[in-house]
Amino acid sequence: MRPSHILFLILLFFLILDTMLYLHATRLQEALRSDHALQAIAVSGLGLADLCVATEARYTRHPAVSDAIAPFMDHPGAIEHFPSGSFWAAPADNNVR
Amino acid sequence: MLPKGFEKQLNILDFSLSSLWRRKLKNISIMLVFALVIFLLGSFQMLTGALTQSADAVLRNTPEITIQKMSAGRQEAIPLSYSEKLHSIYGIRAIIPRVWGYYFDESSLANFTIMAMDTNSMPNGNKLDLTLSYGHFPKRTEPGTTVLGRSVQEILGLGTRRIFSLFRPDLSLKSFEVVGLFSDQTDLLTNDLIVMNLDDARDLFAMEPTMATDLCIYVANPTEIETIAKKIAGLLPDTRVLTKSQIQKTYQVVFSWRSGFASICLLAALIAFVILAWDKASGLSPEEKREIGILKILGWETADILAVRFWESTLVSALAFIIGCTAAYMHVAFFDATLLKPVMVGWSVIHPPFKLLPSVKLADLLLIFSFSVLPYLGATVIPAWHCSTVPPDSVIR
Repeated sequence: MRPSHILFLILLFFLILDTMLYLHATRLQEALRSDHALQAIAVSGLGLADLCVATEARYTRHPAVSDAIAPFMDHPGAIEHFPSGSFWAAPADNNVR
Repeated sequence: MLPKGFEKQLNILDFSLSSLWRRKLKNISIMLVFALVIFLLGSFQMLTGALTQSADAVLRNTPEITIQKMSAGRQEAIPLSYSEKLHSIYGIRAIIPRVWGYYFDESSLANFTIMAMDTNSMPNGNKLDLTLSYGHFPKRTEPGTTVLGRSVQEILGLGTRRIFSLFRPDLSLKSFEVVGLFSDQTDLLTNDLIVMNLDDARDLFAMEPTMATDLCIYVANPTEIETIAKKIAGLLPDTRVLTKSQIQKTYQVVFSWRSGFASICLLAALIAFVILAWDKASGLSPEEKREIGILKILGWETADILAVRFWESTLVSALAFIIGCTAAYMHVAFFDATLLKPVMVGWSVIHPPFKLLPSVKLADLLLIFSFSVLPYLGATVIPAWHCSTVPPDSVIR
């Protein structure tokens, strides 16, 4: 067998794998659509503004309704110390006072 | 019968593969490290993209305007009398006070979100029971009842018990009865929630009956949201007025490419790899130089040698790209982004399951491709070109 044939077999394997992942994505999208419908009811019924991803600090649990200054509010000169803060950028909020 | 040009490229490809296999340890290790960097960068982008898309899909029905009272730069409770001042603004359909806040459970070190409002006045309030796996939402006539998010029930260790207690600020206990549990389909929003009646929340937080945490405003005409928000800000100068569009924009920004220290670290890792690849690939070993010289003596042209090097580096980088991106998708879709989740949730005790569709966008893939594959191609082909243009006898001697 020529080396290029082995390469084509490897590429064929990834093609099949990625096609299966694409089909998985299509099915997951369908499943998530019904989840999103329920989530939309929860959002409107409870007036939610944020995703429940990081619950350690109020500015990562509720970034949309927290002050941009909240990470530094613990005391004068406080630095932001929660690990999840490194993942979340402060939202651009024109209403910050 | 294959075309002549194609047959030639196929032969060069065979030669390149054999050449790669001769130095398999070096090439496979470069490919795996390369794939790892692409995997990390791809996972980060697919995870944050998925969260952004989910936020975009579900946060379309947030309150149209939210009013928070500010004092000394901090948010504090807002008097219910503020809502009376808003009656002069034409176009406001409903003003709904909410009491919400955080409850730190010292035994488990978990932060719960307590939320209370008159759900009957909220849009879709009558459909809220659909979001529960069992039970119903607390009614005004049922004091001391709650609906819990799934992680709250788990962390409190309730099992089949329905009664639990929380501490008031003066450390006296307040008992609650669980009358419903949120469905796992709403975990992304409700995992840490404890929903209760307004009076119970005020009692738990020791808040005056005349106060609320914020006011949700719904307007008659959605095109007037910004105008009404400006009027409210004018009438209530000590408040922060958040509109629906600002809330929706939040999640377009918090996870963008420019956001977060984590993405900077990943980009730094990528740049470090590019430098490593440049260093490793650009310095042709004497053996490789001799090989090029022998090929030239045998009659190979510079273009053929460049084609061999091009195929070699294309194979290494393209395979690394395919492996990295495929693994990144599987990491986010099947393994809950296990490697990135600890950074993302930090010290949170509540770890909501991520049921997310990894975001695979052509623009992101092209960006990762151009950051990773193209520099590697440049780093390997250019030195080969330099070497293949020198006289062969000076190389092999």
